[in-house]
Amino acid sequence: MEQYTLPVTNENGYFEIRLESIGGLGANLSGKMLGELGANELDFNSLSFSSYGSEKRGSPVKAYVRWCAKEKPLRINSPVTHPHILGIFHAGLIGTYPVLDGVSADTKIILNTPLAADEAAEKYAISLGELYCLDALSVAMECKSRVNMVMLGAIAKASGFIPLEAVQKICRETLGKKYPALLEANLNGMKNGYDSVVKATAEHDFAPMPSGKNETFIWGYKNAPIGGINTRPGSTVSNDLSASREGYIPLFLPEKCINCGLCDSTCPDLVFQFGKGVYKGKEGMVNNGLDYYHCKGCLRCVAVCPTGALVSALERDYPKKPHFMPNQDLLPDAISYQETGANSWVTSDSPSTVARPDTGSMEVQE
Amino acid sequence: MLEQKMFYDSGNELAAYAAKQINYHVMGYYPITPSTQIAENLDLMGAKGEHDIKLIAAEGEHSAAGICYGASAGGGRVFNATSANGLMYALEQFPVQSGTRMPMVMNVACRTISGPLCIKGDHSDIMYLLNTGWIILFADEPQMVYDMNLLGLKLAEAVNLPVAIAFDGFFTSHQKRRCLVFANDADVQKYIGPKMASDNQNISSLAKDSATGENCFYSVLDLAHPISVGSYMNEPDVINNRYQMHLAMEEARKKLPGLFEEYESISGRLLHLCSGYCHEDAEILLFILGSSYHTAMEAVDLLRKEGIKAGVITLYVLRPFPAEELRGLCKNAQVIIAADRQDSYGAGGGNMSLELKAALQSCNQEQCRRKKVLTRIYGLGGRDFFVEDAVSMLKEGLSENAKEFDYYGVTEGVDGKKQPQYFKPLTKEDTTLGLTTCIFDEKTKKMNVTGGNLRELTAMPKRIAPGHGACPGCGIFVNLNLLLKGIEGNVVFLFHTGCGMVVSTGYPKTAFRVPYVHNLFQNGPATLSGLVEVFHQRQKRGEYPQGEITFIMVSGDGGMDIGMGSAIGTALRGHRMIIFEYDNGGYMNTGYQLSYSTPKGAKSSTSHVGKAQYGKTFFHKDTPEIMSATHIPYIATVSESNPTDFIKKAAKAGAYAKEFGTVYVKALSACPLNWNDKPNLERSVIGGAVDCCYFPLYEIENGITTLSYDPEKAGKKIPVTEWFGMMGRTKHLVKEEYKEVTESIQSEIDRRFARLKARAESPLL
Repeated sequence: MEQYTLPVTNENGYFEIRLESIGGLGANLSGKMLGELGANELDFNSLSFSSYGSEKRGSPVKAYVRWCAKEKPLRINSPVTHPHILGIFHAGLIGTYPVLDGVSADTKIILNTPLAADEAAEKYAISLGELYCLDALSVAMECKSRVNMVMLGAIAKASGFIPLEAVQKICRETLGKKYPALLEANLNGMKNGYDSVVKATAEHDFAPMPSGKNETFIWGYKNAPIGGINTRPGSTVSNDLSASREGYIPLFLPEKCINCGLCDSTCPDLVFQFGKGVYKGKEGMVNNGLDYYHCKGCLRCVAVCPTGALVSALERDYPKKPHFMPNQDLLPDAISYQETGANSWVTSDSPSTVARPDTGSMEVQE
Repeated sequence: MLEQKMFYDSGNELAAYAAKQINYHVMGYYPITPSTQIAENLDLMGAKGEHDIKLIAAEGEHSAAGICYGASAGGGRVFNATSANGLMYALEQFPVQSGTRMPMVMNVACRTISGPLCIKGDHSDIMYLLNTGWIILFADEPQMVYDMNLLGLKLAEAVNLPVAIAFDGFFTSHQKRRCLVFANDADVQKYIGPKMASDNQNISSLAKDSATGENCFYSVLDLAHPISVGSYMNEPDVINNRYQMHLAMEEARKKLPGLFEEYESISGRLLHLCSGYCHEDAEILLFILGSSYHTAMEAVDLLRKEGIKAGVITLYVLRPFPAEELRGLCKNAQVIIAADRQDSYGAGGGNMSLELKAALQSCNQEQCRRKKVLTRIYGLGGRDFFVEDAVSMLKEGLSENAKEFDYYGVTEGVDGKKQPQYFKPLTKEDTTLGLTTCIFDEKTKKMNVTGGNLRELTAMPKRIAPGHGACPGCGIFVNLNLLLKGIEGNVVFLFHTGCGMVVSTGYPKTAFRVPYVHNLFQNGPATLSGLVEVFHQRQKRGEYPQGEITFIMVSGDGGMDIGMGSAIGTALRGHRMIIFEYDNGGYMNTGYQLSYSTPKGAKSSTSHVGKAQYGKTFFHKDTPEIMSATHIPYIATVSESNPTDFIKKAAKAGAYAKEFGTVYVKALSACPLNWNDKPNLERSVIGGAVDCCYFPLYEIENGITTLSYDPEKAGKKIPVTEWFGMMGRTKHLVKEEYKEVTESIQSEIDRRFARLKARAESPLL
């Protein structure tokens, strides 16, 4: 077996990787594959685990990998706080979640974004560490692969010491047996990820990096109601779930709308804002718009709309969403939204959220 | 040494692999996070034909323990895995198993006990096992989970006591590591030896019980030597039975060192009763269980560099408790920080620090009894334990003023700007819009319902706020929304554990704009019964204003499995409430294990598809028919593909529940994540289930069945395979090789539908 040495380790002697993602993009599987890569291909001592919770799509997920020399015992079981490699599978998390926490000059950040590397560095104010960018979603779509495979290729390249062949070998062993038909596409996705990742080169001098949300009120043992009782009815309304969308939004074309109410009957996220109004000269309930803070982009409404008043659109084409109407039941001035994934403490460990043969989430649009 | 091979696996995977190598006769289990993967992995290996273990998915942990008991009584090797409230639900059975001396192995992936519900790891569950007469081993890393699963069974069978193998949920159960397993299953089986049973024809001579001279490998299946298991026993006998258990536990204590030695000779790995790191000359020690032990070693190294003589010790055998050996590890320490990952509230420590104190106190040396033990309750609910935490605990212990007992890692909260009120509380007037009306016809004994216009119903205020964390396209909130459109006036909810609950009440937020209670899913209907009756009682006594409330219990199909008994009891008593089931055909909240409502043939994480298995092996549960036998006034099935019908039935359900008694309504609910289909198309997938008569729409009103929609008459009937083809979980069944399976499903569906139709056509039925 070829000898690999870790280019850098922390004060305890470990090389550490953290992946930041939302459920459904396959970061958990990537973490497992990197763990296996370390143990089986690079001959390190290796461990891997994910942040755990209930199994939901669209919620923030972290995966951790820790490597050290084979002879050294792996004694730390806690999450990775100061990663040498930080893979960010979903750029929407930056600024709303503390995904950049613990980055140092040693950190290689691999970011999935359609922006060019230097633009991304500026937009996300990433001034520490080395930033590597690629449009993993587009690459994945072109190759009929998945974001996680493309990201693994990019991570290998950015690491400077992981050969593409080694990650591909793990891919063969992990996915090849389970989904043989998809193997070639995934290997190709990895290669394209490896080839297309670009390092930011411009010199940066930004303000300190954003570090997640700052709550002004936090329940603890002194001020929380006893028994875990929650005295704030409807408080999930302050969640901004935009980050759980995977690229698509329903677009509302009011001129085609007949106010039939079918969209409101199929929307799991209670997005449609009907109110009293006039349609064709008659008083009645009319659709005033969509609450995009809570829309998760499932496009159920598009599928049931009988008149084409709701259509699927690429979110990136609509930086300002037309007919965006926040929840109308809210008391005035009550709200400041907190961007969050579908569930703030959730992740995924379910095999069904990994590369799926039939229904990749990005293929939602017909 | 036996031949071994390297794996990169987690604790759960290794527990499953050990069980596969042992090839247990039976595993009775009920999936509960974080132990679930053990059964899942065994099912996966079973589907490939890699073992012969009969895996039995019980309808709850209590039954799982019963399955294990019966199988063990019949001379079988028996395996189980559980966590947290699952362990608590089965707790009653554990002394039965140990008291009647059934050897078996149960893995416990430790997790905190609800409520409030939390799925993460701590040791509050395993400590409940301390007084059950089970041997308890505690592994601190995946490798040890494997080793203890082999050695533990051997120990169990050597002393006829059940053995629990505990390890940290998630930290050890899910973390993958390099580890070694025996290369050949035959070697493992040879090491364990054949299962002794007095009726086993393949074993010529059986060991004799030292006390009675009889062989003690009893089997209920030994027809030549009939035995009675489970005597009715009073004083003076019970105490003798318990003393036998005590002796068996002492026998286990004697046998352990020899078993460790033997296991080392085949594996090269020496297990211990307890162990330490830099403890020999340590002045301050940290006593800590599980995965934290390793993390603490790093802290000890750091402190040693600062010149602090720190050390760390841990325990691998909780029962029998190795007091003497543990004392030996503490020899030179002046101060011991006992870090407990659970609390025995009011006792001044978690169980391990209490037992450490007792162990030191029972020493005959004065110096031993003078050691200072400081308890720190830490890491509850899976709170991470970093090297810095271990450093800080040890450093604090050096201080003269360190408290004897404290919690480590609590936060007092931040009183920032006042939290806003997001919504006005919904009043009866807000939600009484006359969009549906129900009038009971005394003559026909039917509720006449009007309204149900979808456009008008957009005016119904939402009792559930947006911002919940369900997956994109999830059917649960679609169904709840449709149900609530049909319910006018005040509503109070009770939710069972499940996706609907987890995604709506993630602390510190809640999606509910109206009052809500959660209870664990064995017990929702009973809990709501109590709430309903106190409402009526308090109204009667003038303590609560007059007026009506619609009480709605919401459960998944999982809650209707484990909670079936509670639901039937409630229905038979007739409390005025709605039991609403969203049936997504699986335990989706925990990663899609099969439920009894999963379609036959569907793949799930406990019904894999492979050469030896085609998916789930039995038909979907017909819950409305079970409920119909309770003769409650109203039962209905509803589907989002027929929204107006859904809302009208919801209105009727509300009317019946307010006036007449218990109502049961069931909706088929889409789960794009686990059905493996496209979120946007779920309404048509649900429609497919209705059109193939898998999910017929009907109602039973005061005993009279009415079909709401007949796909045959509407000319829309499709074969079940067409519906199966719409979902990734059943797509494989469309293949020719599964024709026999799909034909059996089709004929069962047709039989059930024909029966339903006949009943709808006959006024008597």
